[in-house]
Amino acid sequence: MAVIETKDLWKTYGRIEALKGVSLKVEKGQIYGLLGQNGAGKTTLIKILLGIVQLTHGEALLLSNPAGSIDVRRRVGYLPEDHAFPNYHTGYSLMDFYGSLYGVPATVRKQKIPETLEMVGIAGRMHSKIKTYSKGMKQRLGIAQALLHDPELIILDEPTDGVDPMGRREIRELMSMLKEKGHTIFLNSHLLGEVELICDRVAILQQGKLVREGTIADLTKTKGTYILGLLAGQTFPVEAVTQLGFPVRPMPDQPGHFEVTLPEGKTIEPVMKLLSEKGLTVIHIVEKKQSLEDVFMTTVEGAEPGVDRKPRRRGTARPVGGGD
Amino acid sequence: MQQFFAILKDSFREAMDGFVIYAMLVMSALVILLLGSLSFAPSEPNDAFTHIVGNFEDAVVEGGRLRGVLRQYAHFRVEDVRSDGNGYKLRLLVTAERRTNIDDSVDQPKEGDKKEGDKKEPEKYKGDGFRQLVLVWTKLKPERNELPFLQPVRVTSDELKNLTDEQFENYIKKQFDFHAGMNVTVKRVVTGFTEPEYAFDVTTTGGTAVRGWPHKVSLLFGTWTLPVPINLGETLFWIQDRLVNGVGAALALLISVVLTAFYIPNMLRKGSIDLLISKPLGRTQLLVYKYIGGLTFIFILTAFTVGGVWLALAARSGVWDLSFLIVIPVLTFTFAILYAVSTFAAVFTRSAIVSILLAVAFAVFLYIVGFVKTIFDTIKSNDRARKEMPEWPFTLVDTLNNILPRYKDLDKLTTKLLSTGTLTQAEMRERTIDVLDYPSWGSTLGVSLAFIVVMLALSCWRLNRRDY
Repeated sequence: MAVIETKDLWKTYGRIEALKGVSLKVEKGQIYGLLGQNGAGKTTLIKILLGIVQLTHGEALLLSNPAGSIDVRRRVGYLPEDHAFPNYHTGYSLMDFYGSLYGVPATVRKQKIPETLEMVGIAGRMHSKIKTYSKGMKQRLGIAQALLHDPELIILDEPTDGVDPMGRREIRELMSMLKEKGHTIFLNSHLLGEVELICDRVAILQQGKLVREGTIADLTKTKGTYILGLLAGQTFPVEAVTQLGFPVRPMPDQPGHFEVTLPEGKTIEPVMKLLSEKGLTVIHIVEKKQSLEDVFMTTVEGAEPGVDRKPRRRGTARPVGGGD
Repeated sequence: MQQFFAILKDSFREAMDGFVIYAMLVMSALVILLLGSLSFAPSEPNDAFTHIVGNFEDAVVEGGRLRGVLRQYAHFRVEDVRSDGNGYKLRLLVTAERRTNIDDSVDQPKEGDKKEGDKKEPEKYKGDGFRQLVLVWTKLKPERNELPFLQPVRVTSDELKNLTDEQFENYIKKQFDFHAGMNVTVKRVVTGFTEPEYAFDVTTTGGTAVRGWPHKVSLLFGTWTLPVPINLGETLFWIQDRLVNGVGAALALLISVVLTAFYIPNMLRKGSIDLLISKPLGRTQLLVYKYIGGLTFIFILTAFTVGGVWLALAARSGVWDLSFLIVIPVLTFTFAILYAVSTFAAVFTRSAIVSILLAVAFAVFLYIVGFVKTIFDTIKSNDRARKEMPEWPFTLVDTLNNILPRYKDLDKLTTKLLSTGTLTQAEMRERTIDVLDYPSWGSTLGVSLAFIVVMLALSCWRLNRRDY
């Protein structure tokens, strides 16, 4: 069952097109990462799913219901980017407030609030005013409030923002644990290393368009480039291989290793045959992979950051909006 | 309902977060303590009755609709005051001035109409001032809406002569009721008194507990005493209406408007509104609940102050009149009008400053409209003055009054309610309380409520349409 499904989703702010026909599907139990530059439309997509922003055209379904409906929001936990919790609350009272809005009974709240805060590591400060919390603590509190009502889908917009490296690891572990329990997590993050570590699938948005989508393995695989290494003392026949029509370049950080790129429609077989005929022994052959960061950089290279909000009128202060 | 109470609790927490609410509560507590130190000691009966009948000389012709007093040409004094069961017995002596000219209450020929024989005209109205006064009083009827200065009451010599003892007695009876809220029986004493001297035996009921009985008022448990005795009811009215419902209410409204103006813009901040909208709660519900929650600030303040003042006054004066407590819902409702405007401005602009300015400007505007309406109603009650003015100002003021919240009317109705439980009729007349035209509570609250609903509906419409 698709937990999130969008079909040809469009969002325009006046003349600005924030989303241009985005279609994606998130299955139950996945951790799904959404990547993109600032202004690519990531936050707009999340806000449409939650009914915070209204879609212009297309369809968005959450748990098989129209996105943003009140019933479906009851089954979703959400951590917004740049959240602003009221300073007059303590961690506990804020959880109690949001828990009440979700309809969690008082007895359950009393039991679950300390448990959830313990899970994110701030139970010791739950009766302190939020204004005394560090940014990382507020972030953990934000995650906790998204989990309190045990939602089927958890949408996290930059969950590790402001959190120290240890905290990030804890949050990653927490997400893995939630996944094991059957929760679906929709994650929006700039930290590509983290996304690569925990996400099952990833989508890349660029200026409102979905430009790449797939599993981490699929995205990071580089088709047509091989790294070859010969036995020590043997010389790689660069000219001969090049004459076959295969570009070759030495690997500067791996002496004795060469990168061979396959022309369109060809396999590595002719190169292997040539090396064999020349009596050379191949001790290393691997299809080159790239990091998610490489994929991302390659995908968005040269593109200008997008804008997903209406341009501000001169002199008007707008405290909200302007996310990714 | 769980969500409603959650937001109500959240608003309460928000209201109690700042130091201003505590400063206000401390100020209120000081006022309550100060009023709790008041002492009210009834004046001695002889002094009290001398004070009461002294007012008869400056009595208002209560049958007409007139502000201020009409000088009476008679002098009143008491003697032989003694206790009598639940009241007192006393003799009231009246000395009438001999009138040689015609006073305002008697018709005079106009200058152009005078004939030769008119030189003797004043002579036929010669009489004593007391008879003239009682006769005018018997002829004035409240429903005729008479203004003795503008529409003189015609009296004749025969009518003056034919006044009965019962009419004199009724007049005196009415004066005690009017000036002191005192129920009395009166019997004219003829033997031994020749006009212009009059005497009446008066028996009162209610002892010193009548609202017009003068009291010595002391502050700080008797440390400082007011030099002049004041009626108990008048003191209570001044505290309730002028101090609490007047100055205190204005201050509370202003501070509440300023502080609560931040509630909605804070809620609409990025990162805050996202969290709230992502919860299973409609935007309309969210705003309406938040609006109601915003009223908790003034409710806490008003309930504490008014409740405390009421308790202090009642304990010290012995007057346990509940009508003063009406100020709590009235003031909260008055604030609800201003907060609806503030909410409207906040949703459209997300600026606390704009919300404050708009709400305060609107309050001033409403006050002006209500004030002008009161003046125009007074003008309307007099045909001659009414005819001298064009129609459009009346139409404009009436239209504005019909569509705008009845800010001033709420105040007028509350003042009237407070006066009913404290003041004598004479004191009400001096303040024109009993001669004004009053709208009904139903229409006042109804129109104001409709305005609030319109403001909130527009705000909800905007909130529902907007992307955050």
